[in-house]
Amino acid sequence: MASILLEKVGKVYPNGYRAVENLDLEIAEGEFLVLVGPSGCGKTTVLRMIAGLEEISTGDLKIGGAVVNDLEPKDRDVAMVFQNYALYPHMTVAENIGFALKLRKLPKEEVRRKVEEAAEILGLSEWLDRKPKQLSGGQRQRVAMGRAIVRSPKAFLMDEPLSNLDAKLRVKMRSEVRRIQERLGVATVYVTHDQVEAMTMGDRVAVMRDGVLQQCDTPQQLYDHPVNQFVGAFIGSPAMNLYEAKLGPDATVISLGSQTLRIPESTFARRPALRGFAGRMVTVGIRPEDLSVAIPGGPTDGSLITEVQLLEALGSEMMVHFSIDANLVTEEAAAEEEEDILVHKGEGVARVAPDLTVRTGETLMLQVAMERIHFFDPETTWAIW
Amino acid sequence: MPDLPGKQEKLTVIAERVEAPPRPEAKLRRDSHTRRMARVGWAMSTPALVFVGLVTIFPIAFSFVLSFSNVVVSGSGFALENPTFGNYSELFHSSVWRYSLAFTIFYTVVTVLVEVVLGTMIALVVERLTKGRGLMMSLLLLPWSMITVISAELWQYIFEGTYGVLQAIFQAVGLGSPVFLGTPTSAVVAMMVADIWKTTPFVAVIVVAGLVMLPGEIFEAASVDGASGWTTFFKITLPLLRPTIAIAVLFRILQAFGLFDLPFVLTGGGPGTATTSLAILSYKVMFEDIAYGPGAAVAVSATLLVILGSLAFLKVFRSQVGREDVQ
Repeated sequence: MASILLEKVGKVYPNGYRAVENLDLEIAEGEFLVLVGPSGCGKTTVLRMIAGLEEISTGDLKIGGAVVNDLEPKDRDVAMVFQNYALYPHMTVAENIGFALKLRKLPKEEVRRKVEEAAEILGLSEWLDRKPKQLSGGQRQRVAMGRAIVRSPKAFLMDEPLSNLDAKLRVKMRSEVRRIQERLGVATVYVTHDQVEAMTMGDRVAVMRDGVLQQCDTPQQLYDHPVNQFVGAFIGSPAMNLYEAKLGPDATVISLGSQTLRIPESTFARRPALRGFAGRMVTVGIRPEDLSVAIPGGPTDGSLITEVQLLEALGSEMMVHFSIDANLVTEEAAAEEEEDILVHKGEGVARVAPDLTVRTGETLMLQVAMERIHFFDPETTWAIW
Repeated sequence: MPDLPGKQEKLTVIAERVEAPPRPEAKLRRDSHTRRMARVGWAMSTPALVFVGLVTIFPIAFSFVLSFSNVVVSGSGFALENPTFGNYSELFHSSVWRYSLAFTIFYTVVTVLVEVVLGTMIALVVERLTKGRGLMMSLLLLPWSMITVISAELWQYIFEGTYGVLQAIFQAVGLGSPVFLGTPTSAVVAMMVADIWKTTPFVAVIVVAGLVMLPGEIFEAASVDGASGWTTFFKITLPLLRPTIAIAVLFRILQAFGLFDLPFVLTGGGPGTATTSLAILSYKVMFEDIAYGPGAAVAVSATLLVILGSLAFLKVFRSQVGREDVQ
């Protein structure tokens, strides 16, 4: 067991492409750190640099206090779980799990015992004599896990290990992976592009974009205090609604299109810098869950009149796609490509209670949890605190 | 055929189309339309089948019949008389046949072994080339694409005893002037060199194809697991290449066992009978001694042996390989 420390780590490819820049990150002993970001953000490169599969161009990588930049993967004592599992197809499950131990010249009896132990933890005991090809996707995934845990390495590195599983199994394996990691107490770096996976699994989550670390914090902190528009839009599902808005001259109200919302006094206590934006344009971020159906006859100074575009009933809740006449700000890098096509221009999303009787095309008054809305500087995209 | 992922599937698909075996459910409700289509199919493939029958099946069957006949050759042609096992018993008692058999097997084993080892080594290098891999592959295939008779002629110039290239080199370096094709041992070695030069690239190209198909992640997993280069090669690369190598070996065994054109041009089967392969022996007995029966018996025995050998090889290899696949 050991900690992992990245000091000003960078990766420049021979063609000049900078995949990772100046990354400072510490993964404590036993910590589960999730690296998350859209595809191409450099998160897998970081993982591969820790594993030794990718050379480190600048900076230092320390595992257990020692600089390991120039060590071969085999000498770093880290275990990796690959996206496509990378099982050895010609070996049985037992041989796959025990391969690393055999290479370390452990006595046969001990290898067998350790493999059986790992198989027990992962529920693979009855499959030990099978070849990977004869296993289901979930079982293969567990063999890949087994191969990692059997070695008691200094660190686990996981590269989107659940992305090839179907949705249901993925949810189950999430908690399974977490449980095993907690039991073994080994520092873990887990790469994913799925922010739900990141939020549910990580002790801390590091959000990356274009090779640059945006923010590294606990899931709740990321959700409550995103440092910029990108993190705000990336964390949370459905994504935060971002609108162009203008603060009133005395900064007490904010206009979204033709509608005005009153900013409560408490907001300024938490975001003193907001006053400096009086009379200027800002980007407002409203999470879908911070919108609720307004009670008829209730206060109207924190509510928006919207037109319902589409309703999605999920049973436990309802997603209301609505439009207002304010301009939507798209955080392109945060949205996945497929998502981009589906989101209609100017459409926001609210997550409300399922007992809604409104229909498409009708008007709906939505109450905004004003103390929870986010403000970003439209020029720098940094959060206004 | 041993399992080669992907390739085998394609082969089966093609085979199904050609033979079009009726599926069970189709059999049950075979209407007039299906039957008519089947007739059309047969009608269209008949010319091709007849042609194949004439040029392949008839000669094979005829030589089989010849090998069991007492063939009497006269000025006006030849006649088949009295079915007999005489040709075969003559064969088994002939020391020349026994030598030819031993030589052919020895030659096959040595050349195939060297070609597979060298070919795999070359393939491992070529596969790692980041630049010019295509060019390298084309260059590699040059010897293989040359007609054997022509490459044999080239080697003839090289090995030639008086003004051959190799002779000149040996003399220049001060190694005397050995006779390359003149003594039994050196003739066999010289022929093997020519064969290995020509056929190693073929093995290399097949192995490169196999290597390219292996997923890179497996090798990364092995290096993270702690495997050194050698361990990775012997525990991962080689086992995964086994199906590919098996195919290369099978092709090579079939070819090497039928060895004919190289000794025909290079040594004429000599000196003495040193490089007389079964195919050369069959040719000589048939067309030089005009003994059709025994000649056919040599050919048939060689064919049966190579079929048996290949089947045995396949059986061993298949059980070793299992039905593994690259995920």
